[in-house]
Amino acid sequence: MLYFRYRTLWRAFFQELGMDTVTSAPTDREILERGTALAIDEACLSLKIYLGHVAALVGKCDYILVPRVSNFGWHRSMCTRFEAMPDLTWNVFRESGQKFLSYDVDELMKRKEKTAFLDLGQTLGCPAKEVRRAYKAARKAEALQYKARVQKQEQLYKKEGLKILIAAHSYVIEDQYIGRAVTDYLKEAGVVPLRADLVDRDGAIKRSRELSPTCKWEISREILGGIVQHRGDVDGIILLSAFPCGPDAMVNELITRRVKGIPMLNLVLDSQTGTAGVETRLESFIDIIRLKEGKL
Amino acid sequence: MADTPRRKISFPRYAEYNCAFRYIVEQALGAKYIMPPALTKRTMALGTKYSPDFVCTPFKTLLGSMIESLEAGADTLLMTHGLCRLGYYGELLEQILRDLGYEFDFINLSDYDMSKKKEYIKLVRRINPKVNPARFLAQFMEGVRMVEYLDEITAEYYQNCGFDATGGEYKRAYQDFLTAMYTARGRSDVEKGYRAARRALRAVPLNKPGRPLRVGIVGEFYTVMDPFSNLELERKLADMRVEIHRWMNVTHQFIHHGGQKNMHVKIQDLCAYEMGPTATANIWFARECAERRFDGLVHIKSASCTPEIDVMPVLQTISADYKIPVLYLTYDAQTSDVGLQTRLEAFYDMIDMRKKVL
Repeated sequence: MLYFRYRTLWRAFFQELGMDTVTSAPTDREILERGTALAIDEACLSLKIYLGHVAALVGKCDYILVPRVSNFGWHRSMCTRFEAMPDLTWNVFRESGQKFLSYDVDELMKRKEKTAFLDLGQTLGCPAKEVRRAYKAARKAEALQYKARVQKQEQLYKKEGLKILIAAHSYVIEDQYIGRAVTDYLKEAGVVPLRADLVDRDGAIKRSRELSPTCKWEISREILGGIVQHRGDVDGIILLSAFPCGPDAMVNELITRRVKGIPMLNLVLDSQTGTAGVETRLESFIDIIRLKEGKL
Repeated sequence: MADTPRRKISFPRYAEYNCAFRYIVEQALGAKYIMPPALTKRTMALGTKYSPDFVCTPFKTLLGSMIESLEAGADTLLMTHGLCRLGYYGELLEQILRDLGYEFDFINLSDYDMSKKKEYIKLVRRINPKVNPARFLAQFMEGVRMVEYLDEITAEYYQNCGFDATGGEYKRAYQDFLTAMYTARGRSDVEKGYRAARRALRAVPLNKPGRPLRVGIVGEFYTVMDPFSNLELERKLADMRVEIHRWMNVTHQFIHHGGQKNMHVKIQDLCAYEMGPTATANIWFARECAERRFDGLVHIKSASCTPEIDVMPVLQTISADYKIPVLYLTYDAQTSDVGLQTRLEAFYDMIDMRKKVL
């Protein structure tokens, strides 16, 4: 689930250490179905997809990386699911004989990402000095790549035409099978889709306080900060979440109660196979915005 | 304090712990405590109506209870912080209640960084600026003592209440104890009530076989402890002549158990990290029950409780390794009483038959 956030970091880190990385193919129906069979019924759609991806990788590599990312400090947590992820996966796949790798980021317990990666490299038998260098290089590559993406995003705000801001976790919106349909449809309809989570992260974290002073989830705070920064630049907001996302269930409710004066659509994706339902809702949302602006 | 009127503080219903909240608010903080009415279907209806759809059920219960507290005259609501979604309850609850038009002062512990002592004093001063910190601490500890007594007596009660030979004496003794705690005004009241309850419970004759059916209860923090929320699961199961063991309570989780490091050592083969706020304790206790050859486990959670859903694969591992049956129960605002009874009866029949065969 964190692939879209950390892919550059992971890839670069292992490449620097001279290892090959294998990535599972983009999500498709088969992956979702396999994951659904493996997961507890009530788990969120994203976890089901995740387990499907793990299943697709089992037997294809020496280790599968399942990190534990708990928090980056006070009021900067991840959903508890990311805390449970490695153990959850081991228990689900314990009969497969597959080996897993993990690293543990828990800054409230004084475990920073750097320490976590150092330990990870050393478990793989690499000398500490080498690992430190690899981490540094990977971090740099990731920062560069992310900065470029944010800049590209900022350019989009200057574009002409209808602009809609999408507030979603990266693993929802970038997922080939569930979220991509939304951005694809918007583009086809001549709308510029923008992403609330692609912002300067530190700035967004600070500004999220304006909308929600006690929000405790790192990613939700980035999204909130993105909304605070850009609500004036767009014509509408789509709150996109995967069923039943824990943090989104609460944060999106708060957003709809506090952000006023802009059209907003709350869209929850589930494992339905057709996209017609989603398209109808998007179409009517776009019509409403155009009607409101007198462009229809 | 004639110049400032006393705050009327309320905290939502939570199992029987409200007697201790009342004690702390009234004795230690010198404010008035508004006891929220007992949870009913109306509470749930109110809470469900104004809550987002797939928030966890305790949120709905607390919202309903807060509305009823405000109706009962509270002017200050207190909300805790927490490690899971609970930590965000406060802000959203306040927003919903304000949107409904209620006027009140809201004290949200999520505003304070509770790892710092200074923040605690700030909080206490906000509730009552005239509190003497030393006296507050002493009285607060008495409230904590009350929680310990409550948990101790409750645990003993559910281990034995199914085997009451007199047909009601045991339950009466427990009810008397609760009444004593809810009306306690000082330290001696608490101590007397506790000692009287111990004596009374011991005096009731029990008709208990040497090796009764034993079931361990694990699960999500709120639903596992609150009898209204879990539809009196413990009583229902105990009434079938089963010994109920539940580790999870406020005493164990918070008072006697700062940090779960040592507990985690024992389950490292099942999970390498801490998986969630109550995960370590639940996995540890489930394993403990399995090793002590209990007849079954019940896992309780509210609908869409993320941490407990993630614990389930580990419980499945325990279940497979130790061959112990686990009943997984999910509660939402619509779970029916009769449906639960049927499932419990089936579970009971199964573990009872199993015991006779094995």
